[in-house]
Amino acid sequence: MDKSHIRNFSIIAHIDHGKSTLADRILEETHAVTEREAKAQMLDSMDIERERGITIKLNTASLKYTYNNEEYLLNLIDTPGHVDFSYEVSRSLASCEGALLVVDASQGIEAQTLANLYLALDNNLTIIPVINKIDLPNADVDKVKKELIDLIGFDDDEIILTSAKTGVGIKDLLNQVVKKIPSPKGEEKEPLQALIFDSIFDSYRGVVIAARIFNGTLKVGDSIKMMETGATYEIVDLYIKNPWEVKKDSLSAGEVGYISASIKSISDVKVGDTITLAKNPASAPLPGYKPMKSMVFCGLYPVESSRFEDLREALSKLQLNDASLVFEPETSTALGFGFRCGFLGLLHMDIIKERITREFNIEIITTAPSVVYEAILTSGETVNIDAPSKMPDKTYIKEIKEPYIRTNIFTPSEYIGPIMELCQNKRGIYIGMDYIDPTRVNIHYELPLSEIVYDFFDKLKSYTKGYASFDYEIIGYKSSDLVKMDILLNGDIIDALSVIVHKDFAYTRGRAIVQSLRKSIPRQLFEVPVQASLGNHVIARETIKALRKDVLAKCYGGDITRKRKLLEKQKEGKKRMKQVGSVELPQEAFMSVLSMDSDD
Amino acid sequence: MIKSVYIHIPFCNSICSYCDFCKLLYNEELVNKYLSSLEKEIKDNYKGELLSTLYIGGGTPSSLSIDQLKRLFSIIKLFKTDKEYEFTIEMNLSDISEDKLKVFKENGINRLSIGVESVNPKYFDFLNRKSDKNDVIKKIELVKKYFNNFNIDLMYAFPNQTISEVIDDLKFIISLNPLHISIYSLIIEEHTKLFIDKINPISEEIESDMYYNIINVLKDNGYNHYEISNFAKERYESNHNKVYWDNNKYYGFGLGASGYINDIRYTNTRSIDKYLNGNYVLDKEVISKEVDMENEMIFGLRKIEGVNKNIFSNKYNVNLYDVFDIIDLVDKKLLIDDGDNIYIPEDKLYISNSILVNFIGGINEEGRKN
Repeated sequence: MDKSHIRNFSIIAHIDHGKSTLADRILEETHAVTEREAKAQMLDSMDIERERGITIKLNTASLKYTYNNEEYLLNLIDTPGHVDFSYEVSRSLASCEGALLVVDASQGIEAQTLANLYLALDNNLTIIPVINKIDLPNADVDKVKKELIDLIGFDDDEIILTSAKTGVGIKDLLNQVVKKIPSPKGEEKEPLQALIFDSIFDSYRGVVIAARIFNGTLKVGDSIKMMETGATYEIVDLYIKNPWEVKKDSLSAGEVGYISASIKSISDVKVGDTITLAKNPASAPLPGYKPMKSMVFCGLYPVESSRFEDLREALSKLQLNDASLVFEPETSTALGFGFRCGFLGLLHMDIIKERITREFNIEIITTAPSVVYEAILTSGETVNIDAPSKMPDKTYIKEIKEPYIRTNIFTPSEYIGPIMELCQNKRGIYIGMDYIDPTRVNIHYELPLSEIVYDFFDKLKSYTKGYASFDYEIIGYKSSDLVKMDILLNGDIIDALSVIVHKDFAYTRGRAIVQSLRKSIPRQLFEVPVQASLGNHVIARETIKALRKDVLAKCYGGDITRKRKLLEKQKEGKKRMKQVGSVELPQEAFMSVLSMDSDD
Repeated sequence: MIKSVYIHIPFCNSICSYCDFCKLLYNEELVNKYLSSLEKEIKDNYKGELLSTLYIGGGTPSSLSIDQLKRLFSIIKLFKTDKEYEFTIEMNLSDISEDKLKVFKENGINRLSIGVESVNPKYFDFLNRKSDKNDVIKKIELVKKYFNNFNIDLMYAFPNQTISEVIDDLKFIISLNPLHISIYSLIIEEHTKLFIDKINPISEEIESDMYYNIINVLKDNGYNHYEISNFAKERYESNHNKVYWDNNKYYGFGLGASGYINDIRYTNTRSIDKYLNGNYVLDKEVISKEVDMENEMIFGLRKIEGVNKNIFSNKYNVNLYDVFDIIDLVDKKLLIDDGDNIYIPEDKLYISNSILVNFIGGINEEGRKN
């Protein structure tokens, strides 16, 4: 297709502002799917995405649309909405010329609306502002319009009003996409430059690449070369999704599509790499992506140690289309062989954990998430500490730094008090507050990242009845008075339970942790002391009492089978526990070290 | 070789809040239909083996009328018995009457199992019972006119119950001089009224102390502790229940009954409609040799004497230690090997599940080869 008739665009929005529903409606409007086929939220293909109602992996649909009697090809590249996945957002945005900025007519601008908008502006995209869900009874279109005008600087007449649910405004929106978003540039005659913006593993085809062609043309049978990894392959299939697969003979500059080339080796395909032709290679690759730095780390261990290699395989496959996932083998005296994994944030961590259990069927134990600390040693050397067990002895440490974030917390003004209290309790430094309108504010705090890795989101939601939204950016490292706290079970230090805490909070945290462990570890055959210590100094202690009752009192013939089933169930429960020394620990125990509040 | 039969009579005059056995409210017409269906089930399945134990349980078998009981016994005449056999029927205290006892006696019953549970008026409402000590004494005197071999069931671990209350109940029961006593703790099972009412169980510390106090008092009074929950005077252990713990075969007839025939363990339907229509069996499971060996341990270790190593190796042609990796359990004194038998020591009986669970799927490589 002629480049001037192609439009590549994304939809960006705060979570729950109706991005996926809008995408579905666009698919319907362009007759890509009939209503019957439009199983709610077509583009969210992973089970987890549907269940959680969020989009994680991007997905692309190529749609035909007629405007002024001319046919256009609209490539809609879906983006994730959550702050953890801004890396993926920027990946898809790099393949587009424009973006629809969707705002909920009843909610207005939220924290991630801005975060995503800035990403789009960084990529020089043309932005079309859309107020969606105008059919809602509590929609306040005028107010949201005013926010878009005052806060971002749009003109009144460029804002499109839609209801993805009823279909109002969708046609107008698509017309604007054709009219306002520039057609892709690039030259078919130039040597091939195609940006890999996603890849998936298909058990029949191997690695399948999603790519945007910036220059040149790609044909079935061509020999391609990955400019960074150097791997070469012959193209077996080219296709686009509309959203069903449609085979293509070629893809050329400006177009977006999928490439299958019998790629077996996962490591050959790197998202952000440039594909060129082996025969007539481009002189330079396209600017790739700046890889996102992992902010949260945790240990992942198979419950059954024999599944270590399976876990490695699973992580490699997940990494294939999620370059932001990093992992390296680590050994714990308590847990055996596993992996230290780095994530963009907590949601990212949760999703990876869930996918490992669900898609790869591996029972895993995860240690508590930790941020990366920086220790400056007396020798002058700086070391990164991504696990508490890696903390050097305090006699070698001159200074410890921890990462800080700056918040955007959008909230109705009546919750300012509770939010400030929450942030103060999390060692926050108050920076300032912007009024969006007389009833809503954006609160800025500087907070240690370690303080938000656990219950900050949950607390924020409950403090504000769900009305606040939250986003943050990393602002760098600050010096803190941090110490490593060890947890001992039955007198033995359990390395996987150690935590790094601020010295002023050590006693409170120590008490909270041992109390929480006492509750989460089931009684064992013997009494188990649980202690928290700083160095050799025990600062908190609890005791898990010995098991006294675990018996099927009466067992007659009538229920022999049933009693056996009970034991089988007990055995299953035991399997999910990790034997650490002489103590059996459930998964919850490893999360206990995140407990902040003691229950006295 | 099948030498035992269990027959379930699911009817009761009232439903107890703690009971999760298969039970229905008594209804004369339904009982008559039930007995016909039971007769058919027995005729269809019983292969004529000589039996040495029969057990009629419930529900409350004694809730049946005299005529219905006579009908039941006429059905039971289908079974052939050894010269020496044990024939038990469960009986509710309030059903004890001269007439019924006579019918039992005339029809070969030689052992009764009587549910007393508690004589403490504090728990009468809770247990849906109302027989005080005097009532119980009178009824037991009547029983003794016909039967010297009877069991009394005692229950403990009611919410807020104290140890001395349990011992009071126990000592009263001992004063009645039964040859066999079964004790069992209140378990708040799902689907019972107690569970639905969210009744809090007592602490496991108190419950465990109750259990060990009960054991001591019974031993002091000449009762032999022979299974986790069962005590008997010399030679009066329940032969029928030992069939289960010895992992032997038995027929189970009636609504919700289970049996173990050839290599199949089966459970009958709990739906009275299906049962009356002749759809008796709900579930069948083929027991592999491995599972059978596991069961031999899981149920055998309920007995205080435990599992005899010779009997095990004769039955399965393999040494117990070669099949199960239990040296660690023996080292930790969770199991005792006295040379002949493997058993759970008394002080670990009340946490026996955490020991037994090691036998589930616990057959090692050697055992699987076998």
